[in-house]
Amino acid sequence: MQPNRMLPNRSRTSVLVFLLPPLLLYGAAVLFPIIQSLFLSFFSWNGISDMEFVGLDNYVRMFVADDIFWRAFLNALLYLAICLVLQLGGALVVASLVASLSRGRELIKTLYLLPAIISTVAIAFLFVRIYSIDPVGLLNQLLHWIGLGSLERPWLSDVNTVLAAVSAPEGWRFTGLYMLIIYAALIAVPKELEEAAVLDGASRWTLFTKIRFPYIRPVWITTTIMATTYGLRGFDIPYLMTNGGPGQSSELLTTYMYKTAFTSTDFGYASTISVFIVVECLVAVGLILFLLKRKSES
Amino acid sequence: MITQAAPASPPATVPPRPAVSRRRRRPDLFRTLSRVLIMLIVIVQVYPLAWLFLTSLRTEHDFATGDPFALPGSLTFDNYARAFETGDLGRNILNSFVVTMGANVLIVLLGMMAAYAIQVLGFRLSKLVRGLFLIGIIVPVQIALVPLFIDYSAVNLLDTYQSMIIPLAGFSLPMSVYLFSSFFEYIPRETYEAASLDGAGPYRIFGLITLPLSLNTVVTVVLVNSIFIWNDFIFANTFVLSEDLKTIPMGLQNYIGAMGKVDWTATFAAVCVTITPLLLVFLVLNKAMIRGLESGATKG
Repeated sequence: MQPNRMLPNRSRTSVLVFLLPPLLLYGAAVLFPIIQSLFLSFFSWNGISDMEFVGLDNYVRMFVADDIFWRAFLNALLYLAICLVLQLGGALVVASLVASLSRGRELIKTLYLLPAIISTVAIAFLFVRIYSIDPVGLLNQLLHWIGLGSLERPWLSDVNTVLAAVSAPEGWRFTGLYMLIIYAALIAVPKELEEAAVLDGASRWTLFTKIRFPYIRPVWITTTIMATTYGLRGFDIPYLMTNGGPGQSSELLTTYMYKTAFTSTDFGYASTISVFIVVECLVAVGLILFLLKRKSES
Repeated sequence: MITQAAPASPPATVPPRPAVSRRRRRPDLFRTLSRVLIMLIVIVQVYPLAWLFLTSLRTEHDFATGDPFALPGSLTFDNYARAFETGDLGRNILNSFVVTMGANVLIVLLGMMAAYAIQVLGFRLSKLVRGLFLIGIIVPVQIALVPLFIDYSAVNLLDTYQSMIIPLAGFSLPMSVYLFSSFFEYIPRETYEAASLDGAGPYRIFGLITLPLSLNTVVTVVLVNSIFIWNDFIFANTFVLSEDLKTIPMGLQNYIGAMGKVDWTATFAAVCVTITPLLLVFLVLNKAMIRGLESGATKG
């Protein structure tokens, strides 16, 4: 009767015994909070006084009356774009380069992954010093040396550069992770396919676009989804380095939500923003699947 | 792959000559360029960490006035002494260890149980349960902060180890379930049938067959999750207040003094100390960890 049942005689109870504990934890930590957020988003509540049902007021406020929300949303998209270029673009280039090496692959993979094991607090400290101008930090010193001294600036207090400055460390941190995944996919491309194409006189570029990339497309979709959902939940580094400032110039939806909840203790409105973030993630994943899958069929 | 094989030894069955000789020169230039490029990229990736370590050995004066790229004028361990005076690094490391262990036990055990129910035992709504677990991979962790904060304060769980362990384990569970169930697919049906004929029920089969066979996957799951859990900032920052329970990321924040003044060299020394445990694990087990991360995405 059950197509995927491997054990011929198992009782209904045994299924429950194995399934209930994990579902209980998962429900308490993930599923129930999602429902709770949805519920709270229709209320006004500061955690102390009575909850007050306000219908769609929070949503109206968010979409119509809150400039900071829109600012944070646009910032979050830009932050995501920078992370994606650094992580996926960088990962694809480096994975291709590493796959073309004959020696030292393991060493490079290990070194390249190193930043991924450092905590975001440590990374925030590190990059505050890299961007600093007094005493002169690594970035400004480097610019000075290569004759671009005119670009020297306090990267984190300049409203024009701060968003890029807080996005770059996130990109830097996880590019190694995506490189590994793409590398594993690249070396799994069958040699016969590549060799046949080379014999047909295919250029390096054609080899990549016509043979390798189509072959790794499923993994590329997975990594794009991973990088996108991770980019949309980016929080630690901007929160720690600038706390969204100066002004709102590096505010993301996540940092704005956090401050609304735990600085202004406006739990209802913070939940409304959380709901928006969840919807945003679901839409993003849907879009990626739609665009990348459709392309692969055409 | 082609570039590495072609110049080394000409293949026995010789392909059309012009194609080969045309390709032979160009790959050399291409290879040199790509070597240079990859060196540059690796330097960008690793230099900041080397710099962080060097700075932790600099004198404060040297740090404040010197060229940031210069090697330290003299080496000092004073920063490390100050780092241990300012914060309770041992305590922080111990707390991170407790949280990481606690969450990993839950992730491995519960992940394995769920995968066993879905993949081996099978039941009517297993597709739905799989779908539910997918939600946890897509949805950002921030969604849980406000609700959990409210729930914890209702049941007095704020400021405990559990307050960090529960969400960390909950959000890592889906990946663990996927990794285990894709591994369980490879255990042949006959193994189970044979055990069933010998009279073993689902519990004994889980304990005697599935569990021992899964040890490699357990290592993968633990390594991959530990990176994220060891470094968790957001749950610790939201749910924990008392010094006694602060994990490493929270402990490091203590180095920001009043008025945002920071003793940088001591802070970097503290960072180096706190990186060490995970770094050692990473360097010793990096092959297993890399394999885990690779399989995590290609299968999950």
